[in-house]
Amino acid sequence: MSASGSIGGTARREPHAPEATIGRKADYLHAESTLRSWFLTTDHKRIALLYLASITGFFVIGALAAGVVRLALIVPNGAIMANDTYNKAFTIHGVVMVWFFLIPSIPATFGNFLIPLMIGAKDLAFPKLNLTSWYVFMAGALFTLVSVVLGGVDTGWTFYAPLSTAFSNTWVLPALIGVTIVGFSPILTGLNFVVTIHTMRAPGMTWFKLPIFVWAHYATSLIFLLATPVITTALILLIMERAFHIGVFDPAYGGDPVLFQHLFWFYSHPAVYIMVLPGMGVISEIVPAFAQKKLFGYRFVAYASIGLASVTFFVWGHHMFVNGQSDLASLVFSALSFAVAVPSAVKVYNWTATIHKGALRLDTPMLYAMGYIGLFVLGGLTGLYLATLAINQHIHATYFVVAHFHYIMVGGTVLAFLGGLHFWWPKFTGRMYSEPWGRVSALLIFLGFNVTFFPQFILGYLGMPRRYATYPAEFQLLNVLSSAGATILAAGYLFPMLYLVYSLWFGRKAPANPWNAKGLEWETSSPPPTHNFLSPPEVPRIPYDYPIQAQESRDQHG
Amino acid sequence: MSERLADGVGVARAEHFETVAQQREAATLGIWAWLITELLLFSALFLVALITRIQHPEATVAAAKHLKFWIGATNTVVLICSSLTMSMAIEFSRMGWQRAMVRAMLATAALGGLFLVLKGYEYYADWDEHMMPFLSNRPFALAETPAARLFVNLYYVATLLHALHLFTGIALLLGMTWMAAKAGFLSRHQNWIEVYGLYWHFIDLVWILAFPILYVVNR
Ligand code: HEM
Ligand SMILES: [Cu+2]
Repeated sequence: MSASGSIGGTARREPHAPEATIGRKADYLHAESTLRSWFLTTDHKRIALLYLASITGFFVIGALAAGVVRLALIVPNGAIMANDTYNKAFTIHGVVMVWFFLIPSIPATFGNFLIPLMIGAKDLAFPKLNLTSWYVFMAGALFTLVSVVLGGVDTGWTFYAPLSTAFSNTWVLPALIGVTIVGFSPILTGLNFVVTIHTMRAPGMTWFKLPIFVWAHYATSLIFLLATPVITTALILLIMERAFHIGVFDPAYGGDPVLFQHLFWFYSHPAVYIMVLPGMGVISEIVPAFAQKKLFGYRFVAYASIGLASVTFFVWGHHMFVNGQSDLASLVFSALSFAVAVPSAVKVYNWTATIHKGALRLDTPMLYAMGYIGLFVLGGLTGLYLATLAINQHIHATYFVVAHFHYIMVGGTVLAFLGGLHFWWPKFTGRMYSEPWGRVSALLIFLGFNVTFFPQFILGYLGMPRRYATYPAEFQLLNVLSSAGATILAAGYLFPMLYLVYSLWFGRKAPANPWNAKGLEWETSSPPPTHNFLSPPEVPRIPYDYPIQAQESRDQHG
Repeated sequence: MSERLADGVGVARAEHFETVAQQREAATLGIWAWLITELLLFSALFLVALITRIQHPEATVAAAKHLKFWIGATNTVVLICSSLTMSMAIEFSRMGWQRAMVRAMLATAALGGLFLVLKGYEYYADWDEHMMPFLSNRPFALAETPAARLFVNLYYVATLLHALHLFTGIALLLGMTWMAAKAGFLSRHQNWIEVYGLYWHFIDLVWILAFPILYVVNR
């Protein structure tokens, strides 16, 4: 059980990492400044920023569509917009947020930027492939977006057959083609990460010295590789069926619509962990840094990442409890879904234990991390309600589900994304952001989020179905509350966009390690030079080598 | 792993790798990871085809009997031969026999082309026998059984996807042969041939899985 057994007697590093030591011209941002040097770059750090910019753009579009949806739901009778418009708005929202924001968000930006730095490598294993995956992503996403905006699609992000193949007369086909193309991008990214983590670690960087962020991305990459091809098959079949009436899903052609749901959810449930695991990786970096305490139960957290990535493949049937699946299958899927709670809880316990008796600093990244933990716990617990067969009958396809997945996906991914963005901003850009503004927006987002989505649990429990433009008048109060919350939330998202951009020019210059954090990425200057390190980084003796080491004799010091 | 296999055969180290061995290892792992995803892409189709067979044995057997067994079988042999020539190309590349390697690669591409021609002829025969359920102007021969229709459709999706892979594979192979014919190629990029070889064997493997599942089982 000893991680330190295999390690030589490397001396403890200085508690204060060196200040920025390289000149402006040498860092990756300023090394070259032509447009060409950005759009044809193979530097993983620049590619990460290309992703960051595009993903932020998609988030804005998705959020505007959400605004439209919430606006429509202020009145019960659908007086604000036609059903058709409403359907198109929530489809844009779902498609953009899931496929173009949530899934690539943390891996493509932070993962791309940080994995080579964290393992002490000069770049990812396949830099050209990395750039290719960005172009694939942009091509597919823009293609979909244009069709969704020009013609509209009303199937929702799930594209359920036979609605999508036979009944919907909107621009489903181009949207499907675009989403299929986009799917190849995470496969390539995941492949690059797996190979990089296996083959490019600096000498001495053993598996059990890797930051949890890297473990989480390793697990996520496995899901990218093992689940994405299945959704690609499903989408190809949908395209064939819609375009050529090759019947696989439509009963009129001898097909089986439940088959589509099997294929779809076999991907889309694991996709939830594509969204959540990287977020967990981010939180596992932030929490120890702002408690100045070693991550509690490092090995368990690492194992839990792989555990989550494995179990997540066996629970897709919990989306189909009421779709005529056999009772036995439902029972098995229900039980397995409960099993997912175990590794998730391990993570939450370990973060909490890390915070406990740490030297807590409530800076912006930490506020986001604490918000994350809160929302993730609520989202996770309500998942257990949904996984319970009898309760599911009552709340399936209601706003309870909408609230649940927003707590997990928005609470989980977006808060981790923003937390990570603030945490590593100095590293990415070489500038500090405004701390007071950061704290204000973190609090606004947490408040706005809960006001928006908590009422939806109640609405769902009372029986308001999802995906309808109209609802019984007695639900209006809660809906108005939810829409009001969305306004607060929108303000919360707006602030970081303003002060972060402002900081690019006017922010204080960032030192190499503003947070006194551990991990190789803090050993190089902010921003790093083109090949990441001027001299080979010194791999620490133990991971998360923080001053406070807790009473954790069993786990690390063995 | 030795960095040099024969005189003038080797791999030029890219800047971001520390050693050539590391670079080779990354390339091999990368192609294997890619092949796993490709296998999954097909396996979802095969799985659905198998389930259809189990659930509707008579209808699928009736449909499968219409598939051109002998064309499929010949194509299996053609692809196995092409894997052989590809393996030879790899052997030659290791020994530094550039000219022999180029010839073996061209032979591989030619066999791949032969497969596509035969496959095209088979589609034509299917069309002739009214075995294309998605054509509205040619009524499907087994119209009374929806499961037969489903099975035949899966056959088209799976074989078309395979043909698409083969087509891309041939195009890549020809492009690479063109580069590999130039002097000095083997001293810089020998591992490209190895990596590509794995991809070719994979295309072969997919067909070897598809053939029994679509043509042979329950026959
Ligand atoms: C600005 C705050 C947001 C508001 C007010 C909002 C509102 C909504 C509403 C009302 C629905 C339900 C539509 C319906 O079923 O009729 C919905 C669905 C959805 N939202 Fe959000 N949302 C917000 C942010 C997000 C974010 C940030 C994400 C992802 C990162 C997201 C992902 C989704 C997804 C995946 C669906 C499911 C769509 C479907 O199943 O068709 N939402 N959202
Ligand atoms: Cu699920």
